[in-house]
Amino acid sequence: MAIASTSANYRKVKNSLAKWIITLGGISVLFTLVLIFLYLLYVIKPIFESATVEPVGQFKIEEGYKVLATGTDELKEVAYTISENGQINFYQLVNSGRYKAGEKILSKQLVEDGETLRHLVDIGQEQKLLLDSAGNVQLIEPHFTASFDTGERVIMPSVRYPLGEAYLPIDENNIALNKLSFAMDDEKAIFVGWTQDKRLLKTTLLAEDDFSYDTTYEAQYQIIDYNANVIDDILVTPDLAMVFIRQANQVAVYSLDEDTELKATIIPNFAENKSTANHITAMALLSGGSSILLGDDGGNVSQWFEVATEQGREFKQIRQFKVSDTEAIIAIYTEQFRKSFYTETPSGEMGMFYTTSEADLWRGKLHQGDAQAFAITPRSDGLVVFTDQQLAIFSVENEHPEVTWQALWQEVWYEGYPEPEFIWQSTSGSDDFEAKFSLVPISFGTIKAAMYAMIFAVPIALTAAIYTAYFMTPGLRRKVKPTIELMEALPTVILGFLAGLWLAPIIEIYLPAICLLLIFIPSSVFITAFAWHKLPRTYKSLIPETWAPIILIPTILLAAYAAFALSPLLEQHLFGGDVRQFITNDLGIDFDQRNALVVGIAMGFAVIPTIFSMAEDAIFSVPKHLTSGSLALGATQWQTLIKVVLLTASPGIFSAVMMGLGRAVGETMIVLMATGNTPILDWSIFQGMRTLAANIAVEMPESEVGSSHYRILFLAAFVLFVFTFVFNTLAEFIRQRLREKYSSL
Amino acid sequence: MISVRPKNFSANLSAQPAKLDLNNLAPEQVALEIKNLDLYYGNKQALQNISMSIPKGQVTAFIGPSGCGKSTLLRCINRMNDLVDICKITGQINLNGENIYERHTDVAALRRKVGMVFQRPNPFPKSIYENVVYGLRITGENNRRVLDEAVETSLRSAALWKEVKDRLHESALGLSGGQQQRLVIARAIAIQPEVLLLDEPTSALDPISTLTIEELINDLKQQFTVVIVTHNMQQAARVSDQTAFMYMGDLIEYSDTNTLFTTPMKKKTEDYITGRYG
Repeated sequence: MAIASTSANYRKVKNSLAKWIITLGGISVLFTLVLIFLYLLYVIKPIFESATVEPVGQFKIEEGYKVLATGTDELKEVAYTISENGQINFYQLVNSGRYKAGEKILSKQLVEDGETLRHLVDIGQEQKLLLDSAGNVQLIEPHFTASFDTGERVIMPSVRYPLGEAYLPIDENNIALNKLSFAMDDEKAIFVGWTQDKRLLKTTLLAEDDFSYDTTYEAQYQIIDYNANVIDDILVTPDLAMVFIRQANQVAVYSLDEDTELKATIIPNFAENKSTANHITAMALLSGGSSILLGDDGGNVSQWFEVATEQGREFKQIRQFKVSDTEAIIAIYTEQFRKSFYTETPSGEMGMFYTTSEADLWRGKLHQGDAQAFAITPRSDGLVVFTDQQLAIFSVENEHPEVTWQALWQEVWYEGYPEPEFIWQSTSGSDDFEAKFSLVPISFGTIKAAMYAMIFAVPIALTAAIYTAYFMTPGLRRKVKPTIELMEALPTVILGFLAGLWLAPIIEIYLPAICLLLIFIPSSVFITAFAWHKLPRTYKSLIPETWAPIILIPTILLAAYAAFALSPLLEQHLFGGDVRQFITNDLGIDFDQRNALVVGIAMGFAVIPTIFSMAEDAIFSVPKHLTSGSLALGATQWQTLIKVVLLTASPGIFSAVMMGLGRAVGETMIVLMATGNTPILDWSIFQGMRTLAANIAVEMPESEVGSSHYRILFLAAFVLFVFTFVFNTLAEFIRQRLREKYSSL
Repeated sequence: MISVRPKNFSANLSAQPAKLDLNNLAPEQVALEIKNLDLYYGNKQALQNISMSIPKGQVTAFIGPSGCGKSTLLRCINRMNDLVDICKITGQINLNGENIYERHTDVAALRRKVGMVFQRPNPFPKSIYENVVYGLRITGENNRRVLDEAVETSLRSAALWKEVKDRLHESALGLSGGQQQRLVIARAIAIQPEVLLLDEPTSALDPISTLTIEELINDLKQQFTVVIVTHNMQQAARVSDQTAFMYMGDLIEYSDTNTLFTTPMKKKTEDYITGRYG
């Protein structure tokens, strides 16, 4: 009795232990999945958040003069103001060991005592141009160095003179300038100015060596022929290629090469735009210098850039932002490295926008229309507003303005492109590059690659499965099935490697042979089968019936040999010696060496074992009494296969195909190595593609953690996740429906 | 052993026509003639020199202990054993005077003449209607009127029409086991076979369904020659006109049912029917 109860207890313990372990296992699988899902969402979420602007500090500052410009260092620890009397003052913004917040650190007189600053031009990159009344300018740059002498970081402000401390004569006649714009690189500095006596000057300073360490130069003076009474704005592009000159509602664009020719004139057609606007009231250069933004009195800001048209290159209005219904735009401030801009109306209403994504990021009021100076901090993470005797600092949370749902999935008109397009181009060499984050081409690539793989794999895998499960002798089946399943264990990197380096060149060289194979192999199989059928029984009995398909091996080899042998001949006579040339020139189809054909074959090869194995199981597990039932009714093997076996196995076959599709969608190495990774939207079999998975693999190592690019790659992963999730759910749903309908006994 | 016997059933049996002399049947009375049939599974001989004549329009039962070869013999009649690779057959089976093991025999055509119903109901995962017309469809018959008529006739013959006439286009898998088996019989008779082979048709069914099928068999012999394999001696006694007793691949005794069960000639038969083994 005691023994019996011990063993019963032991069984009970074992039973509940097993139950708990299995439950735990199941729950942890689900938990891990949910965790992955949540982590992806956590990384993605910030890119869809809109911008915020929060005040972080306000300081009473007694300047006594009108402030012309303001700004901060990169860390927003020190601010400066430049006032009308030519004085630059630096203020501490945060408490440090040496200074309290709001304290003046440094003050410097930039003009001779008694003189006033006639004009100040803010030219970005924190550089300011100071003008005196005789057409001379001085370029200054508030400069900040961090020192760690006392063990604590201390920001030390100073003033630098990139073109030397001496005032530069811009006008040979020494006439005061009303408007001035400037841009420079290491070798050249160009000033375009409008003098009081109505001359449009272009002054070029050519460095003797390099401005970055030697400020000696040679000056060239030129007058641009321009007839006007007044000029409202002048903007020189940072690449020294163009200058925009606005006079009322008309913007003239001059090229800044030797001749300074008029390239184009931009005249917004207000009537056609059906807007209430009548006048341009503000103009600004977007980061990168290829777009200009025009603000008007109807509260609109429009973006213009040069696009190639049939008539040559011309400036076009690309998009328009409605900023205000009632007020005019009085100023547009652009960020230095991104395509964001801020607008200002007379009442102090401000707005933050991003051109590429057409995002309306933020609206708000930072002052009561009484700002003397406004600046965006160097890292674009803050704003500085100077109103009457008050310096206000705001922090801006705007990490991912370039991403909107629209920009990811719809056509976007990027700078320099003739029309809106779907483009994925995440990085380039230059800083002012407009990142192109359209998920359409890479999602398309994923589907295209999977589709070509399925076109190749499904017929082969399913016919092989049918043959193995239904016609093959059990002995042979026991050998063949594991062999094909073993193919699945082949690392895909090897398949990708072979496809990219071995198969792709072969396909390129023997393209006619590959096409011939498509005809030769099936027809050789049919001819052999027919010949076998007609062969007298005496010959047939030489090979056991179940081994008869072996005669197909030499036939197929012969057909393949014939295809490859005929290939050069065919190429010579039909395609003028070079199929590639023929396709590209005569058919007008682009030909990539690593194309969808290569991917279809290589990835198809990887997918075949998955589909084969599951479909074979499904067909083999069709109950024998169903096939017998059909045969007993006088059906042939073939009729039984089509009408009963495949019908009954259909849920399993469907699952097999969907599993194959899921595998093809998620496959990375093969597409990475065999596609060329060009994110293009083209169904052509001779073109490559870039898939979501390959895109993540290629770009993840080079994306900065936390950047928009990084988060978009996570979004790509999420889309992939959703793809497979949708495919599998749909597959499961359809499979269940089929199973309800065709489940056998 | 459960035995369900309708009241009028024994009356039916006793009202049989005059006994046939199974060894001297007139050619027009013979449905099937099995001659010196040997069957080997690999090296093992499963049937040994079987010779018998199965009369037309009657029910012939094969009985015997498990593994005696009764089902194997049945499957020889429509060549279902062809599907077994290692199976080798010598001898003859004549249907309408023609040897079905002739080299040029069209097996599919043979099976349309010799229908078969298996142990477990095996309706296809299709509608009731499509199950019944399956045999017609594979011969290319697609005329809606012909098919409709065949469905009604065969379902009526299989005593299933009343139960399913309103749900012909629903899945056959929704039927009960007994209904499924009758559907399978309807499917087999829809193509108008000459011979109907029943391989333990009630072994997977409950007693009530068994009774229905047994009554059905009794009706079917008006139209078809029925050969039934059963391990249930009472069933053989109830439904068959002739009974063959097989043992270890040999045909031990073959005579009319009454004689075999009341006055068996062989010791082995007597031992079996009195329940000494089996």
